[in-house]
Amino acid sequence: MGRVKIAIWFLTAAFLLITAGLFNLEIIQGRNLRGLGDKNCIRLISQRGSRGRILDRNGLVIAGNKISYDLMLTPQDYRQQDELISKISRILGKDPKDLDAVIRRSYSFSSMPVVIASNLKLREAVALGQLRIDYPYITVQANPMRDYPNIKLACHLLGYLGEIDRWRLTKLEDYGYKTKDLVGFGGLEEKYDYYLRDEEGGISFQVDHRGRLVRTLGFKPPVNGKDIEVTIDIRVQKIVEDALGGRRGAVVIMNPYSGEIIALASSPGFNPEVFLGKEGSAVSRLFKDPAAPLINRAISGLYPAGSIFKLVVASAALENKKINQHSSFLCQGSLKVGRQEFKCWGSHGAQDIIAAMAHSCNVFFYKSGLLAGPLAMHDYALKLGFSHPTGFDIPYEKQGFIPSPLLRKISAFKNWFDGDTANLSIGQGEVLVTPLQVVRMMAAFANNGYMVTPYITKSIDGKNLSRYHKKPERLNLKPETLSLIREGLRSAVSEPSGTANVLSSTGVSVAGKTGTAQVPPKQSHAWFSGFFPYKEPKFVMVVFLENGGPGYNSCVIAKQIIEAMKAQGLI
Amino acid sequence: MRNSSLTILLLALLICILSVISIFSSTYQRESESWQNIYQRQILWIVLGVVLFFTVSSINYRRFWDWNYFFYISALFFLLLVLILGSVRLGAQRWLRFGWFNFQPSELVKIVMVIFLARYYSLKNADNVSLLSEKFGFFRAMALPLFFVVIPMGLIIEQPDLGTGLIILFIFISMVYLSNVKLRYILILLGSILSFMPFAWYFLRDYQKDRLMVFLNPNVDPLGAGYTVIQSKIAIGSGGFWGKGWLSGTQSQLRFLPEAHTDFIFATFSEEWGLLGGIVLLLLYYLLIRQGFLIAQRTRDHFGKLMAFGISLLLSLQVMINIAMNMGFAPIVGIPLPLMSYGGSSMFVTFIALGILANIDKRRSVF
Repeated sequence: MGRVKIAIWFLTAAFLLITAGLFNLEIIQGRNLRGLGDKNCIRLISQRGSRGRILDRNGLVIAGNKISYDLMLTPQDYRQQDELISKISRILGKDPKDLDAVIRRSYSFSSMPVVIASNLKLREAVALGQLRIDYPYITVQANPMRDYPNIKLACHLLGYLGEIDRWRLTKLEDYGYKTKDLVGFGGLEEKYDYYLRDEEGGISFQVDHRGRLVRTLGFKPPVNGKDIEVTIDIRVQKIVEDALGGRRGAVVIMNPYSGEIIALASSPGFNPEVFLGKEGSAVSRLFKDPAAPLINRAISGLYPAGSIFKLVVASAALENKKINQHSSFLCQGSLKVGRQEFKCWGSHGAQDIIAAMAHSCNVFFYKSGLLAGPLAMHDYALKLGFSHPTGFDIPYEKQGFIPSPLLRKISAFKNWFDGDTANLSIGQGEVLVTPLQVVRMMAAFANNGYMVTPYITKSIDGKNLSRYHKKPERLNLKPETLSLIREGLRSAVSEPSGTANVLSSTGVSVAGKTGTAQVPPKQSHAWFSGFFPYKEPKFVMVVFLENGGPGYNSCVIAKQIIEAMKAQGLI
Repeated sequence: MRNSSLTILLLALLICILSVISIFSSTYQRESESWQNIYQRQILWIVLGVVLFFTVSSINYRRFWDWNYFFYISALFFLLLVLILGSVRLGAQRWLRFGWFNFQPSELVKIVMVIFLARYYSLKNADNVSLLSEKFGFFRAMALPLFFVVIPMGLIIEQPDLGTGLIILFIFISMVYLSNVKLRYILILLGSILSFMPFAWYFLRDYQKDRLMVFLNPNVDPLGAGYTVIQSKIAIGSGGFWGKGWLSGTQSQLRFLPEAHTDFIFATFSEEWGLLGGIVLLLLYYLLIRQGFLIAQRTRDHFGKLMAFGISLLLSLQVMINIAMNMGFAPIVGIPLPLMSYGGSSMFVTFIALGILANIDKRRSVF
């Protein structure tokens, strides 16, 4: 019977086809489909740890954590109880309809708690916690949240926290960063984000087709971030920021031997807490502010050095034996270089190196500069740390610029004239430096010729980092050079006619140099950089005021700072 | 031959064991006790089924020749009864309540139609005892039996139970084919069915249209009509080669897979026992159906032969369609997997069919 055979063949073929289909589903597509199956029934509720704290040198908290209370409700057991909603709305002072809408909007599955209200006040949290007796499916959960006990203090050093952006995410994905993670932007928060960030923990559990909890599969406790101790002294930082008082500028105070930053302030500042709130307008206002409060002027601000640069000229001329302690130039108020008249701010008469530094005599330095030559000045500027980043451990440091005939020839095809040399000798022209570079240079004169690398991180998670900081480097300056410049710096304060004489009445022996950098048509920048006490320097500082007028204004601020430090026994 | 009836019973019982453990696994986590004990009821159906198997296999199948019209008319009666006072479940009216037992007459109709058609195509010429079916003209070969098929088929599709209706139609076609009716008649029938297909769309219920659309693309409605197919495929696929192990299938136990103990029991089984278990189950079915074909081939009596073919075909069709629908190869039609799916009606009818098969083999030496 041929037809029977055909029928049997059909049947066998059908069985084989089904077996092949089974093979396809279970082996070829198996892994994929199993993943879908797991996704069906495995759910995760994540739990945040707290971000590492940032502590000052004495262990005081600069950025810590506070507890924010969230009200959560498990929809599984909640059955549209208007009574509960009205009770909650009475406590929170919100419209019950809004609350209902929030529940519906954030519902994902029935055993996933829904956050009804976050950032509750303690009073509200306690009141809601009592509702739990009658309605066990609501919980008041405590979540760690960044807290800034000193509000704006050291904001530029800290940076702020925000949701990770696309650029950072692509870079950091391999390190376990996910979308919506909070990461640091700028400052320590960004630089040490990997150490500061907490490791998310959570509960994984199995749910059934309606999302009801079946059993808990596992729990991974969250891991808190590591604390970072910095070299900042909150008390000094506070004095410094108060002295700046919101004026545009920057102050850095550093230990001249190690490079530890004791205080670093940029003004105006911002409140980093603004970035934690959901209020977009406050954040965009910060970004749009013409005073640029988000810029850390101490490391990212580039300014002409003005008379501060005379220290470089003095070093270059002295080291190259173009001048010595007996060299003296006559200042008659101006100097003709080529066909151009270069002015001094006064008529100082005969000036030796110490007097010239005390009076900040331009003519003396024009002449010294012309003797030393632009190449030597450029070399010494670089040697003293200009034109390249200091190696400070906070991101977004600018490197600045020092002109030289060679560079100009190569990059701009222009010639260098003696007028340019004269301009360079008083730190004008194309010279651009950051306040941090200035303080670093000043440290070399305070510590007898060592170049330090400024740093701010003292320890991470209790592990001391001093081993990893760069050791101070000897500059091989001659002792006579150092002592002459130091004397000059001291006499700028001690001489009644010195430019920084206002600082002689602080009760601390200060040495330093002022600078008034011309930036026409705007008001000039005011510089002061110095160290104290003179004999055994403990601190080296720079005060910079953007468009702050003559250098004297910076001296006044320096005086306030030093006096306040002395009053609090910090010197 | 007592041997073949033993083989059949053994194969059937092996499948039943797999059925009980799968039903247990998919329901033991349910809340209510009646759900948790459902496997005990399945054991009861199996025991009663075995009793039916022995009863039927001891009745000479030749008597069905005489009882044929009685069967046919009572089948129609039951179908009409369902239409009038059947209980509605899952949107369809398929069940009759007999005390605590819900009976599904359409299951019984399948086997009645096999007997009816086997008898019709084994009519012999009174003069020379030759088969009439080979000499039938179109009217007697096709039109008349089709008329008898369409009445119960229509009633079943009306319930609505499209799957069972189509199985009866398919049984009709394949039995016509096996009884040596002229091939061109069959082609004419197939042709007219195909040309009727486009119009059939308008006779389909909305949910049937949905199911067809979903069969063509399950992702058109993943949470609605396509949900079952997707979940069933996930369940089968997540079994892998070895399976997740007994009582460890999440799809069925956490109830992502609907009807996990009835129509989609194959997916439940595959999730826990993997490709290996699936192949074993398919092999058991293959061996069982092969027994049917072997019996048919060695039976000389034409009535018995056709009946054995019909029963084997009925079994294989249900297995194929159900498994194919579990894997997303066929649209979802409410066809249970014989001997595996939970349910008394299907279990009884399958054991009756196997009993008839055993009896045919027992009696064939008589002729």
